[in-house]
Amino acid sequence: MSSQPVTFLGRARELIGTPEAAAVDRGVRRFNEMRLAGSAEYAVMEAMRDRVRAIRLHSLRNLDKLLDRFADQVIEAGGRVHFARDADEANQIVAQILRDTGSRRVVKSKSMVSEEIELNPYLISRGFSVTETDLGEFIVQLADDVPSHIIAPVLHKTAAQIGKLFARKLGVEETADPTKLNQIARDHLREIFLAADAGISGVNLGVAETGSIVTVTNEGNARLCTTAPRVHIALMGMERIVARWEDAAATLEVLARSATGQHLSVYTNVVTGPRRSDDPDGPEQVHVVIIDNGRSDILGSDIAEILACIRCGACLNICPVFREVGGHGYGTVYSGPVGSVVTPGLHGMNPWWELPYASTLCGACEEVCPVRIQIPSMLLKLRERAASEGRLPGWLEKGMSRYRTTATDPVKWASAKKWLYRLSGLVSMGGYIRRVPGPGRGWTRFRDLRRPAKQSFSDWMRDRDGA
Amino acid sequence: MEREAFLDRVRHGVRAAHLPPVSDVLAELPQAQETDLVRLFRDRAQMVNTVVHGPMPRHSVPRSVVGIATGHDVETFATWEDLPAPGVAAALSTEGYERVIEDAGGADEFRRTPYSRVDFGVTGALAGLAESGSFVLDHHNGRSRLLSVLPLIHVALVRVETIFRSIAQWAHERPDTVSGTANLVVVTGPSRTGDIEQNLNLGVHGPKHVHVVLIK
Ligand code: SF4
Repeated sequence: MSSQPVTFLGRARELIGTPEAAAVDRGVRRFNEMRLAGSAEYAVMEAMRDRVRAIRLHSLRNLDKLLDRFADQVIEAGGRVHFARDADEANQIVAQILRDTGSRRVVKSKSMVSEEIELNPYLISRGFSVTETDLGEFIVQLADDVPSHIIAPVLHKTAAQIGKLFARKLGVEETADPTKLNQIARDHLREIFLAADAGISGVNLGVAETGSIVTVTNEGNARLCTTAPRVHIALMGMERIVARWEDAAATLEVLARSATGQHLSVYTNVVTGPRRSDDPDGPEQVHVVIIDNGRSDILGSDIAEILACIRCGACLNICPVFREVGGHGYGTVYSGPVGSVVTPGLHGMNPWWELPYASTLCGACEEVCPVRIQIPSMLLKLRERAASEGRLPGWLEKGMSRYRTTATDPVKWASAKKWLYRLSGLVSMGGYIRRVPGPGRGWTRFRDLRRPAKQSFSDWMRDRDGA
Repeated sequence: MEREAFLDRVRHGVRAAHLPPVSDVLAELPQAQETDLVRLFRDRAQMVNTVVHGPMPRHSVPRSVVGIATGHDVETFATWEDLPAPGVAAALSTEGYERVIEDAGGADEFRRTPYSRVDFGVTGALAGLAESGSFVLDHHNGRSRLLSVLPLIHVALVRVETIFRSIAQWAHERPDTVSGTANLVVVTGPSRTGDIEQNLNLGVHGPKHVHVVLIK
């Protein structure tokens, strides 16, 4: 993803405190409440999370065999399978299928991987007409914006802004009433669906044993995309595989509950090959494009576990950093805690090495993750990687290495403590440190720090135990 | 990229992967306590804005479906041919609703327009799922997929003996269902979106009104 090379800190500075960030924070609060309510009604949530973790890790351990089997089964069901090593190859494959089938008008349902490979600009610049049909993505496309949340792409926009946008782009009367806005989008998109030549969808899960592809939506747009047009192209990140249909079903149970607290998404659509001889409708061709684009590198590394993610968005909603900054701060398709691991993994440490630092390591993400993915420990591994590659700013690098030599030597440590106490006298007023220069400035801008006590904690312990 | 070259890279990744140990997927599914599945289905379906009618005997179904149509603004309807209760289409026609029929063109001729003018679509479910208040439609044997997507009102007939606890339980007990059909869909209430300021809106692409008639 070739997003703006500005740093995370730069973007964060621009976003914190804006109405956009406030809207995101309000939005994710709702999601958290809904997730808790949904899980409370589901007695076996904890046991099911264990099961889904086992299912997903099993998939990763056997990914080569399962992909092989999946491809065989898709072909057996009458579908076609394509393998794409990177974004370029994936885009070329999709364009070629469209050309071969004489398709020009394309409808799309939400797919993260299509955003990752930047499919839309690729197709549009080659003369295809591409319409996003998920309401949120449709708005993002009209506004020429980027999504701000995995499952709620326009969390950052108000109804009034959307009303203005529709009036300008679709020539309708301006309104800020969400119900009317929905109706406008329904009417506009319905025509486009019925005239489309090809539909592109993502894949939530692929089932190896049956060659089925599973997509879940609440709006039903994925159903229309994969039913109305003659050609269906499904884009699948290669890790989205499970062995059996019942494994997919178990995974879906925790997916919706973790995402929005729903017991199940409104439409779970399972496609196994093109229409058969007794089907009155459905696509004549089904193509599955399996995409690597950096995933096999992640798999072969110490952050392989992140590929078990089922893209529920729960870790974003709970993350204190995401809640302050919003999805746009991360500068890529995958934001929040999961994005801070996936992005450097997929696209390299340069320039994404600082994302693993966009975390307080509070552990909330791991706690809510339905797959119990150990995100914090992977963030630490990536920080280690960044440090060993010499990516940290010089002052931090030097400071940390000096800290290491001091903190591991009792004599140096004792004298450092004394020095620190004296130094703190210079910058404190009335027992509080209110402002320090240099790297500490940001921290003290909103906070006061109590001046350290004259007697250190370990000295105090020794005295107490001696007494 | 060639399939084998692609899979080679994956094989390489699998061999080098650091993955935490985890117990195998157990054969047993985690089980909630037994409750009345029909009641649970009713409650949960209503939670997602599905209107539930019955359970009723098979012969009462046509009258019930006509009653549902009367409550909405309906002019045209269509049904699957093989509904689990007979007489539904006849009863709707008798009431004066116009039946839209797909022309029998065979599978190679591609048709998608007739159903875009249908207000009211009636289908029969393969299964009901209690915990989520969902029903399952499988499409073969001449059943249209678009009939449950395009009309503003969708009525699904569900036999109570096909109600399972959950999607996981159903898939566990009927593992072969998905391979028997090119398309299967699990429907959990009317089409909905919360994309605009998290306002719940129904019927954004699919039906705005979903009714289930339970058959004893
Ligand atoms: S890492 Fe876990 S919590 Fe985050 S999106 Fe993925 S599955 Fe959900």
